[in-house]
Amino acid sequence: MSAIAEAVAAGRLPGRVWMYADYHCNLACTYCLTESAPGVPRRELGHERMVEIAAEAAELGFTDLGVTGGEPFLLMSLPGTLAEMAEHLPVLVLTNGTLFTPKRLARLEPILGRRVAMQISLDRPDPDANDGMRGPENFGKVVEAIPRLVERGIRVRIATTVESIEEAELDRLCALHRDLGVPDEDHVIRPIVRRGRAVDHGLGVTARQQDLPAELTITTDGAFWSPFGPTVSAGVVDTDLLITRTTRPLGVPAGALLRLVENRPPGDDVALNIR
Amino acid sequence: MECRYASYEPVTSSAASLTVEIAWPNVSRMSAVRLLAAGEAPLLARPYYGDGDPGPIVAALAHVPELLEVALPFIGAALGPSALSWRTKELVIVRVSALAGCRYCVQTHTAVALDAGLSREEILALRLSLDYREVFAGAAERAVIAWSDAVAAGHGPVSGQARDGLRAHFAEHETVELTVTAGATLMLNRLATALELPTSPGTLSRLTSEGLL
Repeated sequence: MSAIAEAVAAGRLPGRVWMYADYHCNLACTYCLTESAPGVPRRELGHERMVEIAAEAAELGFTDLGVTGGEPFLLMSLPGTLAEMAEHLPVLVLTNGTLFTPKRLARLEPILGRRVAMQISLDRPDPDANDGMRGPENFGKVVEAIPRLVERGIRVRIATTVESIEEAELDRLCALHRDLGVPDEDHVIRPIVRRGRAVDHGLGVTARQQDLPAELTITTDGAFWSPFGPTVSAGVVDTDLLITRTTRPLGVPAGALLRLVENRPPGDDVALNIR
Repeated sequence: MECRYASYEPVTSSAASLTVEIAWPNVSRMSAVRLLAAGEAPLLARPYYGDGDPGPIVAALAHVPELLEVALPFIGAALGPSALSWRTKELVIVRVSALAGCRYCVQTHTAVALDAGLSREEILALRLSLDYREVFAGAAERAVIAWSDAVAAGHGPVSGQARDGLRAHFAEHETVELTVTAGATLMLNRLATALELPTSPGTLSRLTSEGLL
């Protein structure tokens, strides 16, 4: 058993490896960590590399994969990539859920029946409040898409990212996701992290290294401590949570991450519920 | 404007009389890459930041932290305290840096050389402004400088005269270390020159007061 596998099995290292599939997005959310938007450089990791990372991660002893962006489903080849990745480890792909037109839903065929789940952002139970942060028509498209995905057998998680939410509003949001076919255990509520565009809008909480689980995250710019690490400020990728520029072989950043984790002072637990 | 070192022929033992008037450009421009501040320091680089500014070499290498964390111990071992005397190592470092035309390294190590006990005249000789053979009386130090010239020239084999001169005064392990010191200095010379690393204001101020800017 590798040192990574031992650490994962013992719970000293999170089992999931994240990948930034791309950095561009059809939305420009006010709290976006990566300043993603339609016009930003794409910076795609690429099909071949993503599948390669999946294989390396499995070999090293990681247990899960995560894919984020940008909006990963802007990459037309993504379903095929996810299907190949899922041959190695289960995959959770984060999406804004706005691209699933009937034509795009048909393109999801490669992942049907595979170990691929989706996490879709839905912040508020009302269109106006939701779309104020995420852009016009976001709510309607998401609410339309989720049942279509669920009925195809795709596991859908909902991520609610908010500064705060009233109990009554949260109750309505939970009622909504249940109606859409998403059970409570697949609803994640998390704070806005004050990085990327959230800084410009004065949103969110400051997350330090020790607040963030050490989930190895691979991008075109290198390997980071967490998927909250490779954030973008004024068009420049932040380096404060950079581990290594080397990402191939995956054992290089994985080994460096483990070394960092094992040097953490005792009792230095995760302080924020950021997942 | 680039450093005003004249182009020179490949250095041989007979080129030791080479003298060049040093006149560095006024350096106020930015470095070629961002120098990462403490708040931007990648995780593996943080130990090298201490309480703040780690200097431009660390702040530049921090862009590639996995390189930084192996390069810094090597640089420290190659250029720092060792079996060779501090003064001897600075002879090599200042001389090689001058031959390579590295403004940052010459300026920074001029200050270090003063701390190591070298005189203003000796430093000027190492910096090619005076003939070192007229300034350094000791045969061992002249051999070190001749060896530095031979190594820094970098074209083919070093001269037998330079090698024999060194052998007369230094053991094999010292020869190895002098050569590694020269090589590590050359690496840093090219890094600092290509990336236009800035000399610290404190060093510039000191060199001005010493008449060595």
